[in-house]
Amino acid sequence: MILEVLSAGLVISACLAIFLDEAVYSIAALANTLVFVALLYVFSDALFVAIFQFAVGAGTLAILFLSGEMLSEKPAKKTPRKNVLGIIVAGALLSLPAIFLSIPGSTSAIGGATFEEALWNLRAVDVVLQGLVMMAVALGIAIVLHEKRKGVK
Amino acid sequence: MDYVILSLVLLAIGIYGLLTKRHLLKVFVSVELIAAAATLNFVMLASSLTKGLGETFLILAFSTDTCVSAVILALLVVVHRKYGTSDVGELVKREQSKEQEEAEE
Repeated sequence: MILEVLSAGLVISACLAIFLDEAVYSIAALANTLVFVALLYVFSDALFVAIFQFAVGAGTLAILFLSGEMLSEKPAKKTPRKNVLGIIVAGALLSLPAIFLSIPGSTSAIGGATFEEALWNLRAVDVVLQGLVMMAVALGIAIVLHEKRKGVK
Repeated sequence: MDYVILSLVLLAIGIYGLLTKRHLLKVFVSVELIAAAATLNFVMLASSLTKGLGETFLILAFSTDTCVSAVILALLVVVHRKYGTSDVGELVKREQSKEQEEAEE
């Protein structure tokens, strides 16, 4: 039961993070999302990952609150309470498939493994993609610095 | 309770935000949600298959996520300092009008 409540809270706060107009409220909703994710990790016996998530999240959110307060323009009017309620209801509805539906175990045809096992067996793809992201970030920074140096000369 | 569907829902919300929101901070929030969806899927699969290896892979995922967050935040600060706005549409408009002015000259 507690996992269902956590997943509903996770989806609702993710919706709030996207749809709220004020930057600070949006970041507070993102903080809620990260806390719910960490709690889900705790309840599925991944305590080490939960601690890591809390540590990384705390740093990111502190910077985000500062930059959100400093850099974002204040919206002309606040988000009406009706809209907030609508977002919460939409989030609750979106969380229903995750609670009541499930992917059958025998949907995968990869070596007779279940869907979860097949995804796990393909984890190398994830690692390669993350390596590519890091390389793209490094290349981007190098290009920006090169262009800046050219501009200075 | 299916975590694959949960992470798919989270991914869909993140991609929707990435495609529709124009403020750079909202783009950042969307990227964070997408990263959270990916790591959630990874951890839940690893923990349901009782493989501790998944948790160690997460260190790589978190470090990548933090690198991306740092770059996006740096871009946000630089763009706001240079142009005085964080709206992507506004930035594109300004760049286009600047290019037009240069072409006319």
